[in-house]
Amino acid sequence: MAAPHPSVSRDPLEPQPLIEGVHTDKTINDSLLAHVWRGAGKGWFALFSVALAMLGLLVIAISWTLYKGIGAWGNNIPVGWAFGIINFVWWIGIGHAGTLISAILLLFQQKWRTSINRFAEAMTLFAVICALLFPLLHTGRPWFAIYWLMPYPSTNGIWPQFKSPLTWDVFAVSTYFTISLLFWFLGLVPDLAALRDSSKSKTKRMVYGLLAMGWRGSGRHWAEYKWAYVLLAGLSTPLVLSVHTIVSFDFATSVIPGWHTTIFPPYFVAGAVFSGFAMVMTWMVPARHFLGLKHVVTMKHLENMNKIMLVTGMMVSYGYIMEHFIAWYSGDPYEYAQFFKTRWGGPMSGIFYLMVFCNVVTPQIFWFKKARTSIPVMWIASIFINVGMWCERFNIVITSLHQDFIPSKFENYSPTWVDITLFIGTIGLFSTLFLLFLKFIPAVAVTEVKELRHELAHDPTADPVGETH
Amino acid sequence: MSCDDNKDARTKDRDRRRSLPVVDKSVAPAKGAAPADGGNGLWRSQRPWRSIDERDRQGAMPGAANEFPAGTMDVDDNVSRRGFMQLLSVSTAVATVGAACQKPNEKIVPFVRRPEEVTPGNPLHFATAYALEGYGSGLLVESHEGRPTKIEGNPAHPQTIGATTAIEQALILGLYDDDRAKQLRQGVTPIAWRSLLGQINANNAKLAENRGAGLRFLTAPTTSPLLLDLRRRILERFPQAKFVSYSSVADDGAVDGARMAFGKPMVPRHRLGSADVILSLDSDFLAEGPEQTRLSREFAARREPSPRMSRLYVVEPAVTVTGAMADHRLRMQGTEVGSFVAGLCSVLASRGLEKLAPLASLSHGERKWDMKWLVALAGDLERHRGSSLVIAGCRQPPAVHALAAALNAALGNVGVTVEYGAPLTPDPLSGPAPLAALAQDIAAGAVDTLVITAANPVYTAPADFKFAKLLERVPNSIYFGLNEDETAAACKVMVPAAHALETWGDVRATDGTVSIIQPLIAPLWGGIQEAELYAAFIGEGDVGANKLLRRYWQGQFKGGEFDAHWERWLADGIVPDTGVAAEGGVAVDGAALAQTVAPLLTRTKSGMEIAFVVDPKLYDGRFANNAWLQELPHPITKLTWDNAAMLSETTAKALGIETGDIVEVTYRDRHVDAPAMIVPGHVDDTVTLPLGYGRTGVGVGGVAKDVGFNAGALRTSDNPWYDRGATVAKTGRRFKFAITQDHWTMSPDGRVIPPPAVEGPIEEVLKRDSKFHEEIEVRRGPLPTIHEPVDYSKQAYKWAMSIDLNKCTGCSACVVACVSENNINVVGKENVWRGREMQWIRVDRYFSGNDDSLSMITQPLMCVHCETAPCEYVCPVNATVHSDEGLNEMVYNRCIGTRYCSNNCPYKVRRFNYLNYIADYTAVRELGMNPDVTVRTRGIMEKCTYCVQRIERKRISTRIEGRTIADGELETACQQSCPTRAIVFGSLNDASSKVSQQHADPRRYDLLHEIGTRPRTAYLARVRNPNPELHVPDAHGAGQEHGKGEHE
Repeated sequence: MAAPHPSVSRDPLEPQPLIEGVHTDKTINDSLLAHVWRGAGKGWFALFSVALAMLGLLVIAISWTLYKGIGAWGNNIPVGWAFGIINFVWWIGIGHAGTLISAILLLFQQKWRTSINRFAEAMTLFAVICALLFPLLHTGRPWFAIYWLMPYPSTNGIWPQFKSPLTWDVFAVSTYFTISLLFWFLGLVPDLAALRDSSKSKTKRMVYGLLAMGWRGSGRHWAEYKWAYVLLAGLSTPLVLSVHTIVSFDFATSVIPGWHTTIFPPYFVAGAVFSGFAMVMTWMVPARHFLGLKHVVTMKHLENMNKIMLVTGMMVSYGYIMEHFIAWYSGDPYEYAQFFKTRWGGPMSGIFYLMVFCNVVTPQIFWFKKARTSIPVMWIASIFINVGMWCERFNIVITSLHQDFIPSKFENYSPTWVDITLFIGTIGLFSTLFLLFLKFIPAVAVTEVKELRHELAHDPTADPVGETH
Repeated sequence: MSCDDNKDARTKDRDRRRSLPVVDKSVAPAKGAAPADGGNGLWRSQRPWRSIDERDRQGAMPGAANEFPAGTMDVDDNVSRRGFMQLLSVSTAVATVGAACQKPNEKIVPFVRRPEEVTPGNPLHFATAYALEGYGSGLLVESHEGRPTKIEGNPAHPQTIGATTAIEQALILGLYDDDRAKQLRQGVTPIAWRSLLGQINANNAKLAENRGAGLRFLTAPTTSPLLLDLRRRILERFPQAKFVSYSSVADDGAVDGARMAFGKPMVPRHRLGSADVILSLDSDFLAEGPEQTRLSREFAARREPSPRMSRLYVVEPAVTVTGAMADHRLRMQGTEVGSFVAGLCSVLASRGLEKLAPLASLSHGERKWDMKWLVALAGDLERHRGSSLVIAGCRQPPAVHALAAALNAALGNVGVTVEYGAPLTPDPLSGPAPLAALAQDIAAGAVDTLVITAANPVYTAPADFKFAKLLERVPNSIYFGLNEDETAAACKVMVPAAHALETWGDVRATDGTVSIIQPLIAPLWGGIQEAELYAAFIGEGDVGANKLLRRYWQGQFKGGEFDAHWERWLADGIVPDTGVAAEGGVAVDGAALAQTVAPLLTRTKSGMEIAFVVDPKLYDGRFANNAWLQELPHPITKLTWDNAAMLSETTAKALGIETGDIVEVTYRDRHVDAPAMIVPGHVDDTVTLPLGYGRTGVGVGGVAKDVGFNAGALRTSDNPWYDRGATVAKTGRRFKFAITQDHWTMSPDGRVIPPPAVEGPIEEVLKRDSKFHEEIEVRRGPLPTIHEPVDYSKQAYKWAMSIDLNKCTGCSACVVACVSENNINVVGKENVWRGREMQWIRVDRYFSGNDDSLSMITQPLMCVHCETAPCEYVCPVNATVHSDEGLNEMVYNRCIGTRYCSNNCPYKVRRFNYLNYIADYTAVRELGMNPDVTVRTRGIMEKCTYCVQRIERKRISTRIEGRTIADGELETACQQSCPTRAIVFGSLNDASSKVSQQHADPRRYDLLHEIGTRPRTAYLARVRNPNPELHVPDAHGAGQEHGKGEHE
């Protein structure tokens, strides 16, 4: 259903609104739940079958990996980690936008988050699911890894090694996943109730009713709900910083030139937010078009996201510069060679230059308002940034490993079909989950948008732009 | 190590070594006996493992015999019947035949009552020997419950002196090779040994009619007293028969050269212990030939940095192990060496060596070498008269050997650094010349029965003989070989040979000392022994090798109780007082020599030089089916699973060739397609082709098949090693090499690796305040740290290792020894290409300098057992931990394979089982595994353990004796096999231990010391001893090496 056309004339100097047009709760309800009730269109089925096919590839690649062993991948010695870990870090990074938007922007009372937080949180969940595949799959014996990494009091009395960043990873990522899931679900409850109430068939009513967990919308419900939501937001906030910080420890605590650096935690977090927003953008632009969400996900939202990408892109660029500066300033010959020889001129330098182009050059375009508000520009830029962030992890993981200290054990790396299929397969998994999400769950937090409408409509002092001073 | 040490080791080992029990009576193997007995009862073709699924796994028989499942043809009625009819028809041979029909009456059986020294779980060591090119290497073989699992050098043996070569280490895998010939067959029909004996007897009767005129034996060169005695008896019966000795890598040049110089065929024996200045004329004496182990030891002993340090000059076309150890190396085409040595003669003559005066006028043609180099060398040789040595390589023609002998004689070296002795075999020549005579006989139809025991002559014979075609003309051809190879396919009868470790026999070392070869296991696939095949021609084919051998030696033995001595010989591995003294008083007639040699030195041909070279891994191809050797990186090129046409960079550039281009090498209208490789230090305008690869025959085993190209297809009988007139042309196709080390320089991109080499006059280096000391001081000792280092001094032991780079030649024996000891998997070419090789020891090699002043350094690198190991803290499941005594331990069953430890290892010495490599193991292959070491499955990290299983074994045995492990009684596998004793292992808590001394050596440094890993393995920097006349101090600079070699 098309959004109501903005009919009110605006002062041209007035900033863009967060909700376009004049709405009542009902119009918001109808417009935002419409895509759930509408039968799946041809377009959805076309996309879904592509995603399913890619998911099939994932199943094949995983089965082959388990059957053959890690030798099915291109890894070697010295490149013990390759696509698996790149993909892990990349997906985890993508997940960061969701938490940032839901939690931190909520605490900062950034009103513009309400239209996109559901969407971003779902992405977080699905990205973390994709990411979680890899730490397990990349081990030589996943059937042991799955429980030896867990600290449980076993009869043999052996615990995980708490000095190892991989053990920290297990805690960090699983906590992150749990909190993200709870947060997302909690936010969904009122909307699920709305879906239940507007269900036309018994089955749907039952299913959504079960999921709504008896939500009746009483004042007490709302009070508890609000508290729980803020509490979870408070819990999530440190996670935004901690997850990728700990992921960065996988590298930073090692001795390998290119890994052994103190700048990694902030640099990883910035990169994660950068890539997370890029991914939200990549999906949001088509979604708002096809699902008719343009009135709630306005140009204002997109522009704000572009600004965040510009900021985090600059942080990431600063990280690149500092890595090089320290490599030179520290006088460590191995680190110097890693950055100034291997990355700039080694066999894998092409990836480095692609990374610089995508992550350093591309976001600079967002200095210009025209670019920030141009749908094609931002969409293409977001894809570039996704590619660039994958290349960044390639540089960190593979380029650092393939030439470290002893020149006799410098080896080249080339991926196998399994590596590539696994990566494509996780994109398939992500897409499948996302398309299902778009089909069965409101992509925008209806309740919150209604609430926002009320705030904007009833509080004359409220800033219509939604930015708190 | 001196002789005294050897003696100690021998005494120590004495009680460990026993001969295997031999049961003379015909005893059927006990039912339900342990499978390790070889289970070989009545039928020799019976396989030792008889479960159904295992039989299926063992694979089909070669060739057309495939259509019968294994086991069904053990007793072939038809054949036996036919054989039986033949026996009956030969009335004169009835008596003999009767014997042949009986069951073989000698076998090796499992213990029914356990002998006193056998404790299940504790290995025994048996002394035996391995014959290559007719000369024996003394070995001690570790046997677990009757299964040989590991080869070590016999310290009592004069040639091996306790060490081994890589090839000897790999014999274990060859023994359990499932591709070995398993079926005695006539054409495609399997027959029984007794049937064959019957036929041979029948044939003997026919041959005897014309005194054996049509009988020929084509054998490998041999010094075996037993085989030579059998030969004598065969010749008594068949006086017209002939024995031809052939090896494609024979050292005929030395024998012929001595003939030119001294007037009679002689063999040089070198003594490097007393050599101050050594000149190698294209001789890879440290890694080639029967004396390599002893020569390496003697050479290394003189490389201690002291004023007594020897100096090595090497003249060679392509870098060899010896060339890499040189203080001065001159690259020179193989065909130029003759005129170079003539030039050396004239320079030395002009310096007052009168004996060389007649040789002074020898034309040395167009001079292509650096005259300054030659003059400096001549000066050095002249200053060290009586303690210098000139060694000519086996690839050089007789003229060069003759001039080398003349130089040694003139310099007064004979009797000091070199001795000349009569050849130990009746056929001193075993190269193309004797084979040519045989070929002629065959072509003339004069050969009726040909018995081939030489190693695969159809593959190795010069291409111009077309040997396979010739064999078609021989009515009765019998091939005795280990594998169903090219020769087996061309012969009428294939007799599967028993492996060296399944054989009774004897062999002489180069000094004449005899070793008894005793079997470690009953023939796994019913192989026949060489002595038995010989004996068949004197009607004793059924006597059995053990009896033949004992009977012979009993005949030789005078005085005393034979049995006790026999047991002693078997236990010691040598027969005392069997050495042959060198002949003194050799004299060179200079004028006559000049006349003989002069025409040989003139160069008549032009064009690009083609050079063939023995492969350091596969030899002449006979070890091609040995996966340990195939996967062993070549000492210089680090190439595995292939050979390459090697070229210098200049030549390759001129031809537009890059490494990996497939080129067509044409020589005398024959051509092969070979992948080209640019090798530093290679001489220009020469292409070097390693032999032994490109096996394509029907029966060739799965490992050898289609690996590399067959350089032998270009080789001709008149110039088996060097000739001119080759062309090399690009084909446009590309090839992927599996090289384990692509990087040639030591410090690419400014990375600073501590200096393994120091150049400079030895006196300078030894000074306390030299630049060298400044350089090395920063690479050892404590680093500032906020952590209190763990105190290991209270422990009983503090295990540590030291590796003396001055002694390491890069021969790679340690790599194969480690593979054998630690059950390390072979991964195959594709995985080596991917960088997943599993060998725990990596012998790194670095080039520096340019092609003309090339230096090469080798550095064996295995886990250095860091005290603060970066691998340990990153493992999430505690699978790699530190022991109280400082070992960095792997807990295999705890490992989940995150590979984080390997990523964080700055030395990159950890190895990961990317695939389930053990899945390929056959049941027979599993017999050769070391039961003391866990076999690792897929998904597990592994690495050097400092041979922890050896430490624990020793700990147990010394604890029982109530004492601690003494220094030197515990050796790691790599240390044990090292010919130069470059590796030392021991406890640092014992201040007097060898390893403690080495750790305190002024040359000691820690690899990657600056990271603070506190490695337990220390390296002793290499010191070169250049001639001050040739040394350019600024070219390399003391201390740090700045590699200028190519960097890929």
